[in-house]
Amino acid sequence: MGIHGVTPGFAEDITTPLPVQYTREEGFLHLQPGRVTELIGAPGTGLTRLGLKLLAEPSRVASVVALDTRGWISPEAAWETGVLAERLVIVRCDDLILWPKVTAALLEGVRAVYAEVPALIKDHDLRRLTGLARARKVAVVMRSMGNGLPTGIAHLRLRALGVTWEGADRGHGKLKKRRLVLEASGKGAAGITRRFEVEDEGTDAVRVVSDVVIDQARRSVG
Amino acid sequence: MWSLTRPDAPSDEPVLVVDDRVTGATEDVLTVGVTLGMPRRDAEALAPFATVLVRDLADEARCFEPVVEMVENLVPRVEVVSPGLMFVPVAGAVRFYGGEGPLAAEVAKELDELTGDQRGGDALVGIADGPFAARWAAATATSDEPHVVADTIGFLSRLDLSTLREAMGGEEMIDTFRWLGLSTLGDLAGLPRETLASRFGNPGVLAHRLATGEDRLVDPRDIHPELGVQMSFEEPLESLDAVAFAGRNLAERLLKGLRAAGVAPHTVTVIVEAAQGSTRERIWRSADPFTEKALTDRVWWQLRAWVETAGVPGGIVGLSITPADLSGEGRQLGLLTDESSSIEADRAFARAQALLGPDRVLQGRAQGGRMPGERVAWSRWGEPEVEWERDLDAPWPGATPSPSPALVPPRLQPIDVEWDAGLPTRIRLGSRWEPVLTWSGPWRLSGRWWAGERDADRYQLVTSVGAFLCVVSKGKAFLAGVYD
Repeated sequence: MGIHGVTPGFAEDITTPLPVQYTREEGFLHLQPGRVTELIGAPGTGLTRLGLKLLAEPSRVASVVALDTRGWISPEAAWETGVLAERLVIVRCDDLILWPKVTAALLEGVRAVYAEVPALIKDHDLRRLTGLARARKVAVVMRSMGNGLPTGIAHLRLRALGVTWEGADRGHGKLKKRRLVLEASGKGAAGITRRFEVEDEGTDAVRVVSDVVIDQARRSVG
Repeated sequence: MWSLTRPDAPSDEPVLVVDDRVTGATEDVLTVGVTLGMPRRDAEALAPFATVLVRDLADEARCFEPVVEMVENLVPRVEVVSPGLMFVPVAGAVRFYGGEGPLAAEVAKELDELTGDQRGGDALVGIADGPFAARWAAATATSDEPHVVADTIGFLSRLDLSTLREAMGGEEMIDTFRWLGLSTLGDLAGLPRETLASRFGNPGVLAHRLATGEDRLVDPRDIHPELGVQMSFEEPLESLDAVAFAGRNLAERLLKGLRAAGVAPHTVTVIVEAAQGSTRERIWRSADPFTEKALTDRVWWQLRAWVETAGVPGGIVGLSITPADLSGEGRQLGLLTDESSSIEADRAFARAQALLGPDRVLQGRAQGGRMPGERVAWSRWGEPEVEWERDLDAPWPGATPSPSPALVPPRLQPIDVEWDAGLPTRIRLGSRWEPVLTWSGPWRLSGRWWAGERDADRYQLVTSVGAFLCVVSKGKAFLAGVYD
């Protein structure tokens, strides 16, 4: 009993629900209408799942779309992150000429878009699309398949610095939880580069761990 | 109502016509338990011996065209709902023919004569107050005797609730009505409309309107002539491709103009001018306001029917679409969902579909399966959802656990994995080798040996740049997903 007892005075503090108020880092994971959020990082760092997760909130009120250039995006991962299945449409486009036209068509009618950006898309096409998103108040997440978006496109830049997995141990267990260390920068981060960690357990709840010391987080990478 | 016969159906074999559900079947198929409206998969399981033909609505519209023309010769302003079903406003014709009975008899007689010329089945004629009641009056008529309903409210009150399904969908709402003890439209009509509105919203009000015979919405708004759209062609259009392109273009222009005016059409009149001077026109009607896809389909069916039946000699030199029965329904905002966004999104997806083709704009639905690639049933956006290939509610022991990989290749991709004493050590990603830091598995995946599948092992491999789901079969490794 002594082991499982709760120190008087603390139990109430722990169980009292907190008012819904985002921390600055949590705010990075909520899309803003008319703004472009850029995800930067190598394949495998968990950014596709994060990008789909960002669509969960807009999908509660309207259709959202994932623009897939590789033909590999799985809606199952999106559903797990809370995107409503009936509101998610996946558009597959690997044609460099059609990609800007298709994206523009989608920006004309959809509230939120997750778009993989082919490597060779011209800068001026991206700038025009950004202007269209701003005019139509569409929340856009872009992930470049090349070396990142040109400057002036993204309102907020989220760069994956490292990913660690828990659960698998030399043949035992299974992948259970991912910790993704992100660096936020750009106007959306008030011009200050901030690092924070996101925990993803495969459900729609993504926990933000603020103010991590990046060296400590990278210690267990892999 | 007119039943259609497929000219390409083998005459001496059992035949099943389907889209996602059964839309037609021969007698021997019906005798084994197949019913119209049954899901395609169930029907194919019950009648594996039947030749399955996929429904072709454009072809059905072409076959239906002579029937529409014949009725139009008797009563002007025919409204075609779908191939096989048309409505005719008979208020004026009743006076001309001396009553509803003589009019129905005349139409039935003409249709009977047409049956001899055309490959088709029975023609059913019903007359009632309003399209919904008339449709079910026709359904309860026989080919020998049209059904003229004298007391529409009384007739409707005896209809089963399932008759609402065709007009408005609402499967769940109908089930709720039944759960509440209602079984007929009369039971539903007895409820206060306000109560249905507060419980079910707009669909509840619509159901009550149908049950009380008020299905045709009266909208007193004038139609401004400029809302209609037209195109003229210097060179007559004769090829189906050119006609399809013009039809789609015009349909988009029409709806764009109507949207700007804040209205949506329930009825459109398609008018073509032939090179030799004649003019053809046809009215199409829809219970819901026309969407771009719905309108484009109907314009295409109609134009194809006219072109293929030589109805526009010399080709098309003029094409116009005029809206009617305008309502504000297309702009109605719902309480819980953003309806205007939905309409705009539909338009955006239709545009993307036009640019990329229908196979590139997709929606997924969860289904059962052990591998991530199996657990999504894909369907084209705007088309009926495909049937499950695998039951979602089945247990699926050994299924790959969540979290699911966010990237799943359409087919297993060969990948190089280096092994040391049966343990994975390195994985090749592009041109470089990444050491495997840890892994889980192997999990045995027993293939369907009767279908030629082999057993395989699954591994989750973790590297410093991410985690991967791999399948190893006969010593070869394949990438099944990336936990990106």
